[in-house]
Amino acid sequence: MSLDLIVVTPQGEVFAEAVEQVVLPGAEGDFGVLENHEKFLTALKPGPVEIRLPGGTIEWAAISDGFAQVTANQVVVLVDECFKAHEIDLEHAQHTHAEAESELAELMNQLNSEDTRAEVESTLVRASVMIETHSRHHS
Amino acid sequence: MATLSDIKRRITSIQSTQKITSAMKMVSAAKLRRAQEAIEAARPYAQRMRETLEEVGSAEASHPLFEQRDEIKRVGILVITSDRGLAGAYNGQVLKAAESLMAKKRGEGSEVSLTVVGKKAVDYFKGDRGRSVKSARPVGPNVNYLEAKQVASSLIEDFESGELDQVIIVHNEFVSMIAQPVKLVSLLPFVPPSDDGAEAEADQAPYEVEPDASRLLTVLVPKAVEVEVFRALLENQAGEHAARMTAMENATKNTEELIENLTLEYNRARQAAITSELVEIITGAQALE
Repeated sequence: MSLDLIVVTPQGEVFAEAVEQVVLPGAEGDFGVLENHEKFLTALKPGPVEIRLPGGTIEWAAISDGFAQVTANQVVVLVDECFKAHEIDLEHAQHTHAEAESELAELMNQLNSEDTRAEVESTLVRASVMIETHSRHHS
Repeated sequence: MATLSDIKRRITSIQSTQKITSAMKMVSAAKLRRAQEAIEAARPYAQRMRETLEEVGSAEASHPLFEQRDEIKRVGILVITSDRGLAGAYNGQVLKAAESLMAKKRGEGSEVSLTVVGKKAVDYFKGDRGRSVKSARPVGPNVNYLEAKQVASSLIEDFESGELDQVIIVHNEFVSMIAQPVKLVSLLPFVPPSDDGAEAEADQAPYEVEPDASRLLTVLVPKAVEVEVFRALLENQAGEHAARMTAMENATKNTEELIENLTLEYNRARQAAITSELVEIITGAQALE
């Protein structure tokens, strides 16, 4: 018996493979899943995912917020976006990060900008997750 | 009667129109294929989202977005059209349906607030008709999820704050190449999927939910609404290309017919010219005898 990891986004299935272990960024803290895990449903926050493939290779992926549905031999991850570490364009992510940060600093001085602020904040979080995933992948 | 060169000119002009329409048909066919793939790709996500929602909904069934209000004071209508025209009656039928829905809701004593997506609808609701437009944006060349998310979250916010009591989407659904019927979808209050499969799985252990079900629902339900908006945008995208493909195919057929008739007219005129020339020569020769 093995553990299947399935990552689904609105753009399609990103990942569907047998894995040994997966560590996910849960809303209440990171958690690891091995096979024969208890049935479990949780919200995820944006963050890096650690995927240990059979044979011990470790792969990293960046996800946005969503859910994980865990059963004994399957982990289904539902997220808006998922990028594997090697797909991440670090320069672009850093650029987005810097841009969102300066935009946010500007918005902080304004009133009545909650709408845009939430949007910029989410862009900022997504960019920093990508940067972190990238650095973990390369360390 | 039109001269030979006139007819010739018309034939040439129609031939170049034909080139354009058949090229547009080709382009739409390629785009349609991509749009259909996008719909296919979004299906597993929507499916699993529904399953999760059933799972959590069965444990905990209350959420602000489920709330059915007794008095509908303000209705939000999300109208989705394409950015470009030349797609037959595609956009017209959505706008007509939106107008009649607005009239109906106003008749029932509700105020109407429009959220408009797609340049065609944006243009249509400009000026006087646009008194009730709250926000407007183009669809863009490719539908992406973040856009659907933005549209959905502003509607959700208005519903939660009591600004809107009901939200309805008006859009074309992609059924087939020749059928893209207008569909009215009630978006909010959100109706949780009914838990039909529950009995069959009753013997299975329930999921342990973390944090608790009600907090999970507060994240899940808005996402389900986003998915619904995303789906409508994708359907609209595929329907647009299908409608344009059909429209352009008809246009190409019409140009063929026109060219055929004009060619016939051209040949007749040419023959008439030859005949009259011959008659002239013969009468001239006879006069000399």
